[in-house]
Amino acid sequence: MRVADVSRLAAGAVTAHRVRSLLTALGIAIGIAAVVLLTSIGEGVQRFVLAEFSQFGTNIIAVTPGKTETFGISGAQISNVRPLSLDDATALGRLDPVVAVIPVVQGNAEVESDGRTRRTMILGVGSDLPKVWSMRVSSGRFLPPDNQKAPRAFVVLGSKVRSELFGDRNPLGRRLRVGGNRYRVIGVMESKGQLLGFDLDDAVYVPAGKALELFNRESLMEIDLVYRSGASVDAVRSSIDRVLRARHGSEDFTITTQQQMLDILGSVLDVLTFAVAALGGISLFVGGVGILTIMTIAVRERRAEIGLLRAIGASRGQVLRLFLLESLLLSAAGGVAGLALGLGIALTVSVIAPALPVHPSLEYALLAELLALAIGLAAGVLPARHAAGLQPLEALRAE
Amino acid sequence: MTFTDTLAYAAGSVLGYRARTLLTLLAMGIGVASVVMLTALGEGARHFVTGEFQSLGTHLLIVLPGRSETTGGPPPLLGETPRDLTLEDALAVERSRAIRRVAPIAVGSAGVQYREREREVTVIGTTASFLEVRRMKMARGRFIPGGDPRRASSVCVLGAKLARELFGVEPAVGHWVRIGDRRFRVLGILASEGRSIGLDVEDMVVIPVVSAQALFDTYSLFRVLVEARSEEAIPRARRDIRNIIRERHEGEDDVTVVTQDAVVATFDRIFTALTLTVAGIASISLVVAGILIMNVMLVAVSQRTSEVGLLKALGATSGAVLRVFLAEATILSFIGAAAGVAVGYAAITLVDRAYPVLSLSAPAWAVASAVLVALGAGLVFGVLPARRASKLDPVAALARR
Repeated sequence: MRVADVSRLAAGAVTAHRVRSLLTALGIAIGIAAVVLLTSIGEGVQRFVLAEFSQFGTNIIAVTPGKTETFGISGAQISNVRPLSLDDATALGRLDPVVAVIPVVQGNAEVESDGRTRRTMILGVGSDLPKVWSMRVSSGRFLPPDNQKAPRAFVVLGSKVRSELFGDRNPLGRRLRVGGNRYRVIGVMESKGQLLGFDLDDAVYVPAGKALELFNRESLMEIDLVYRSGASVDAVRSSIDRVLRARHGSEDFTITTQQQMLDILGSVLDVLTFAVAALGGISLFVGGVGILTIMTIAVRERRAEIGLLRAIGASRGQVLRLFLLESLLLSAAGGVAGLALGLGIALTVSVIAPALPVHPSLEYALLAELLALAIGLAAGVLPARHAAGLQPLEALRAE
Repeated sequence: MTFTDTLAYAAGSVLGYRARTLLTLLAMGIGVASVVMLTALGEGARHFVTGEFQSLGTHLLIVLPGRSETTGGPPPLLGETPRDLTLEDALAVERSRAIRRVAPIAVGSAGVQYREREREVTVIGTTASFLEVRRMKMARGRFIPGGDPRRASSVCVLGAKLARELFGVEPAVGHWVRIGDRRFRVLGILASEGRSIGLDVEDMVVIPVVSAQALFDTYSLFRVLVEARSEEAIPRARRDIRNIIRERHEGEDDVTVVTQDAVVATFDRIFTALTLTVAGIASISLVVAGILIMNVMLVAVSQRTSEVGLLKALGATSGAVLRVFLAEATILSFIGAAAGVAVGYAAITLVDRAYPVLSLSAPAWAVASAVLVALGAGLVFGVLPARRASKLDPVAALARR
């Protein structure tokens, strides 16, 4: 038998039992659709989270005081015996590959203007914040590069604080009390939105030196810096390490690169995507059992046909291939239908609810398709071997 | 045909085709078993996490300095406020009748040094009641003594890992260590209870709260843990905390009070949602198994056309034939579901033996709904083939022989 003949015979067998083939393929199709849809969601979530993180740019390095971590943050960020100082921030700014650096102190206080008060996040930062956190000023200007030790009492508002306190009025030049001290408003930030529960719009930005005074503390909570794109992360990291070690006498700080965080997040999300894919795979497996069942039935039904084929000279190998091909055809058809179904649902979801992160992943789709074929092959082996092993005489007599 | 006849007949045909029956059962069994196992895993994780939280102490309220008016947002995890939450605030709160114990906490990090070895760890400044509020135990020695919490004293209690790292096999109790720039005498070592929600109790040092404030040169507390007298006293304790602190802070309401129950409830909800999702995804496989049952039944109908013809010729009504095939589909899905439940439970028991910490147990609702969905799938997908069989014309069906 030529290859074309085998294929025609197998295709004929599949199309002869239309309902049966349809249902068998449907089993596989549902499995594949589940895998495709679930991995699309996994991939979508991954992209969403990574985009959230990299909206600050990818060349960021954060330096925090302390080496050990508790509550997910360093206990040293709250208080410590070896503070990270404003001078440290200035020293890091002098490094060659570093483009901009800001000290960060974060707290919570009441801001008040014209009798309206709001309890909000206070961010003590430096003048380079727009560059480091890639944020933009919508009106006025950002904090000027004053002497860090004795900065002027200027404040820049987040967009939400501005609308809550000033409504439609122009806030520029107005006086604002932050935790009891008087500041002058010199700018308003563009809306940036939430980042993992951190609402950067519901915040006011004051010079770090002022914030340290306000909260009566010595140590910064963090130093954020951006380096020139193209510079090697490891080189920047080791030069930060060298400078701070020289200044502090010991390694009492932690350096976190944005790339590191993205990598860790990425790998966690990869595992999650794989896990949901595996869950969907259960259905695929059950679909495989379905193919096995139907092929077993088919071999039993077509004993006479097998006997005839063998009697007119078909070899065992050819019969084996015939049934394997049939099972492959079933699973491949199911796989293609499932792919279409899964992608269709994913596209519909992304059209109806664009907020839901759904992103079909080509790799997983291909993988699922290959898996469907492999399942078809595996499920076909037993019945096909059984068919090939039939004695032609016995088989013919079955009629 | 009587009901028993129908059942016996259907059971006979189920038994008649061994291979296909077994495979169908396998498909249904895999679906049900995976639902049972996955929900058991989800429930186990939920119990584990909530248990972990509950072991932190019961009737617990946590007072954090600062308050954000953004509703729905998380409470400020860290951050400074112009008006500190002070030790005096914590002691004032203790006067409420709804409150049993108060443990103020100041946190920082510093190097702990013994001879030439130094280790940077979390320093917790607190009072004697911390041990009871947090339900912790001592491995050796004793905890920070009670008495006036406003008095600093140079004593400390080490976490198990810290003690091991600094002292090795030497006894640590009674020795002096240096924390930051001050000397402290080791009073005892905490029993190791692993990592409990974010705080590595093995790798920390506990000193009196005033000593910690002096060490870090600050007046503010990181948190105040408050234990209410009873479950019912929690709302009153919360109100009292609010009122007392507002009075002390010149009328300003600048603390956040979180109850342990609220935190536990949040985790509970998250894990229940997760378990439901996972169970939902796994039950797609039940639908696939249902389709397989339909397929097998269709094959059975076409193979047994003459048999159906004979039944009808002998006087069986269409309804009786319908019932026979439906019974067959139901028997298939029921046995499959039962096998799946058995396999699922066996697997759970095995995992439970291996990892007793997880305390796995499949929730009854999940098992019941998996079996119901399986039966339902068998019935629904059995209808089409059964109708096809019942509509066969007896003469034509017999003539095909």
